[in-house]
Amino acid sequence: MAKDPRVTRIEDLPGPKSKGELEEMKMPYEEYCKKIFDVGNEHIKPNALKGIKWLSCTMYIFTPNSVVNLAELGAEVIKIEMPRMGDAMRHTSPFNECYLYPLHDTRPMTGTGLGFTNANNNKYFLTMDYHIPEMREHFYALVKKFDGLTELYRPGTMDKWKIGYRQLSEINPRFIYVWGGGFGYGPKMFGGSYDILGQAHAGLASVTGMHEYMGGHATKHTNWIIDWESGNIITSGIMAAIHWRRKTGLGTMLEMSQVQTPTRLLGYTTTMYGKFGIVRQRWGNWDTQLAVHGIILCGKSDFPDADNPQDKFDARYVMVSAFQDADFKELCAITGLKNLYEKYKSRNQRCEGEAQVEIYAALEKWAADKSRSQVAKILQDAGILAEPVRNDREVYESPHYRERGTVRWLDDPLFGDMLLHSGYSAGLMEKTPRRVNWHWRPVGADNKRIYRDKLGIPLSKIQEWYDKAWI
Amino acid sequence: MAEKRDIEIKSRADTIGLMDLKDVRPYPVTPPPTYEQVKPVYEKRKALDFCNWSEENLKFEKRYGKDEALTGVRVMDIGLWRLGHKFCSSLFGESGAEVVSIEPPSGDPLRKLTPFGREEYLLQNTETGEKCGMEFVNETVNTHCVTLDVETEDGQEIFKKMASNVDVLIDGMPPGYMDNLGIGYRQLKEANPGMVYVWIGMLGQWGPWKDKQSKFGQWMLEPFSSCACSWVHNTGLAQDLLPRGRGGDPTRSGIWVADYVAATQGYISALAALYWRDELGGTGQMVEVTGAEALMDILDFDITWYGFNASIKGRSGGWDPNLNQYAWNPCKDGYMMIGGQTDKLWYNIGFCFERDDIQFGRLIHEDPFLKEVGARNALHALIKTYSLTTRWLRDQNRVEAETKLLQYQLAAGPVLYIDEVCEFPHFKYRPWVYVHETDYGPLLIASAGLSYQVRTPFRCKWMGRDLGYDNYEIYMKWLGMGQNKVNEFKQKGVI
Repeated sequence: MAKDPRVTRIEDLPGPKSKGELEEMKMPYEEYCKKIFDVGNEHIKPNALKGIKWLSCTMYIFTPNSVVNLAELGAEVIKIEMPRMGDAMRHTSPFNECYLYPLHDTRPMTGTGLGFTNANNNKYFLTMDYHIPEMREHFYALVKKFDGLTELYRPGTMDKWKIGYRQLSEINPRFIYVWGGGFGYGPKMFGGSYDILGQAHAGLASVTGMHEYMGGHATKHTNWIIDWESGNIITSGIMAAIHWRRKTGLGTMLEMSQVQTPTRLLGYTTTMYGKFGIVRQRWGNWDTQLAVHGIILCGKSDFPDADNPQDKFDARYVMVSAFQDADFKELCAITGLKNLYEKYKSRNQRCEGEAQVEIYAALEKWAADKSRSQVAKILQDAGILAEPVRNDREVYESPHYRERGTVRWLDDPLFGDMLLHSGYSAGLMEKTPRRVNWHWRPVGADNKRIYRDKLGIPLSKIQEWYDKAWI
Repeated sequence: MAEKRDIEIKSRADTIGLMDLKDVRPYPVTPPPTYEQVKPVYEKRKALDFCNWSEENLKFEKRYGKDEALTGVRVMDIGLWRLGHKFCSSLFGESGAEVVSIEPPSGDPLRKLTPFGREEYLLQNTETGEKCGMEFVNETVNTHCVTLDVETEDGQEIFKKMASNVDVLIDGMPPGYMDNLGIGYRQLKEANPGMVYVWIGMLGQWGPWKDKQSKFGQWMLEPFSSCACSWVHNTGLAQDLLPRGRGGDPTRSGIWVADYVAATQGYISALAALYWRDELGGTGQMVEVTGAEALMDILDFDITWYGFNASIKGRSGGWDPNLNQYAWNPCKDGYMMIGGQTDKLWYNIGFCFERDDIQFGRLIHEDPFLKEVGARNALHALIKTYSLTTRWLRDQNRVEAETKLLQYQLAAGPVLYIDEVCEFPHFKYRPWVYVHETDYGPLLIASAGLSYQVRTPFRCKWMGRDLGYDNYEIYMKWLGMGQNKVNEFKQKGVI
């Protein structure tokens, strides 16, 4: 407000304050969104987590992903790997086909497999054998300066090495310590775990895939979903802990077990078992609570002449959704299945298992002489929701992701052009967007930067440690 | 134990109520392990001191005695049908924020969804008798249920006033819906510049493939997200493993998976935006999270792989194309997951199989190609390994296989169904599945993964609520609107 209450200033009145703001208000909403997210100019905006510093004694996907979220949001992250070999994920690659080598670098060059992708963006790479007593004080020196640490060793290992929560919280009471692993305290405390064990053990696999009577098997989610999503959940916990620490000045320890994650995500499954004794089974490409809301097989591929078998044979699936009465009526009308509409007029009737079997079979019969895009087009033209099931090539070529910047080429400082589908796609932020500065760096690439520049260790000493394989 | 009695079951309807936790089939069937039974595990590892400390400081049962991380953060959530905005609100609720969920007076349609359309599986509020679907109850944790019709002018006024005082607004409506009503980010940020506005949807508020509605107003729901990011295409068994149309097809997840991932990322971004607001920038901002992109964010390297050598990832069922061994395969009574990639573990698997099947030893140990960890990931190496593994597994049931494999310190475990999950000793000990007393009676639920913390564990207080249960309280607390006024709006159909 102006000091003199009799003065009316334009900025005190409601509504747009300037011509620019007026135009912003008048702009169609889509254009407005596009403007504020301003794809392509992420790097000139501020970082959300500027100033947060995190240590990462992690490997594989689960725990590295919990930290990469912070790194993409602008935190400074140091990943500490064991000397020479580094993260086992560096040696993992689909069918052993794809390894990347730095285009230019003076540091040791080893190939890194594509398995390492997306969980290690923007991190600095340090090597340190932190389990030997000689390196302990240098580890502590880092802890004093940092906000937190994520680790994945079997419980008690870091404690035994005197670098667990009990020791580190003495050195730095603000320290947030995260353990991510399979099981946590309890009878299976020392059980090893993988993403796939989480999928298998905690109920997710039992509800995914075609039903036995459709001839199917329990099916693995294509990606390491439980590793990744548990990592995301850890990041949630870290963000909440940081929030609380701002108020109290105290750190904490989180114990997060990935095997538990899928059970929490099973929706009604657990409750239905407890209340009604029903053990949920697989229901393939259909939905247990909505019909029609499922994926159907069409007779012809969209790309019968393509070379790649994934295009040639598999571009045949359409996701069809018409579960509301009006939609289902229209779907039956357009596919010539009016009798089905008469038979299953209410939403609950359509949802019954037998009804679903009949309806989807009839739809697939109708689609048997059509291609995927024909089916989608017929239904879309009738105003019904239907979308083809897309493959990697189509996602890459999609104008949607390109325009939103979620699939883009990154000219990596070390590795050159790499196609990127992570980081930017985790969520668009108007003022402090996530960003990817680099995919990863070689093992120990930042030793000099950290040992010399941060901790003041002379280069000769660093060389000596390197020769002894301490770093 | 419940008293033994005879029952007659003529139809499905006769089973309703019989299986409830306290009656015919109490939970758990076998009691959870006691500390005395677990202690030897800790001692064997020579880590008793650390394990006791862990139990003392992280224990689930102690969560209510500890502080909540987000006390004082105010969150409002509006949306229908989907789990994205709901799970995001639940995360806020579990971590201690005050969360208000706005539904239209007719209620969120998700309240009515029930497996296979069977109304007998709706939950019933023990006091009021109001019914609600299990999915809705499970995915609205610690959220206050308030009704408001934002399509009316009065409703918009009320919404604006409420939004002027929140830290986070979660929007789960179709693209531009709120903006059209004059209560979107553009209009609200003036009154509340510190607000973080989080839109959570399927494909986007903008862009060529943005979220659509049918001609009749039906929304896009999961799995549209996972179909649009190649996740579905890449999941399932290959057509040369099972015939197409009979299991050898692209396969959706059994859950609305992209919704959960988007919700988690929404929570992370919102808290990062709050951090930036309070520490650095001073203002709120808009955040947009979509299921398709959030799932693509964690799609391993699949699209990058296409950029590398034009590979389009295909389906590989229970196998993983990057690791050997790392798969589940059929066994005598289900599926057995076996993992072990490094030389040490991989050979341990071989030693274990060899005891029953000399073939595995001969073909695998003597094959020079399979001796190198990377080389074992070639497709033909996977086929060779898993063919022999499955041959071993077909004569074993899950318990036998697990017992034998665990002797070799391998990560191995069966695919468990939900009844087995709920009875798994470790899960009961933590507990990851427990009985929570809700408005709908005692329910078996899964605990929040972040409930195990030294200082600020997440926790479930209540789940689900009757439609408009918190109207009087929240309208008074947030707007100073008394009962009479609320009733007046109710009669007008606004609340």
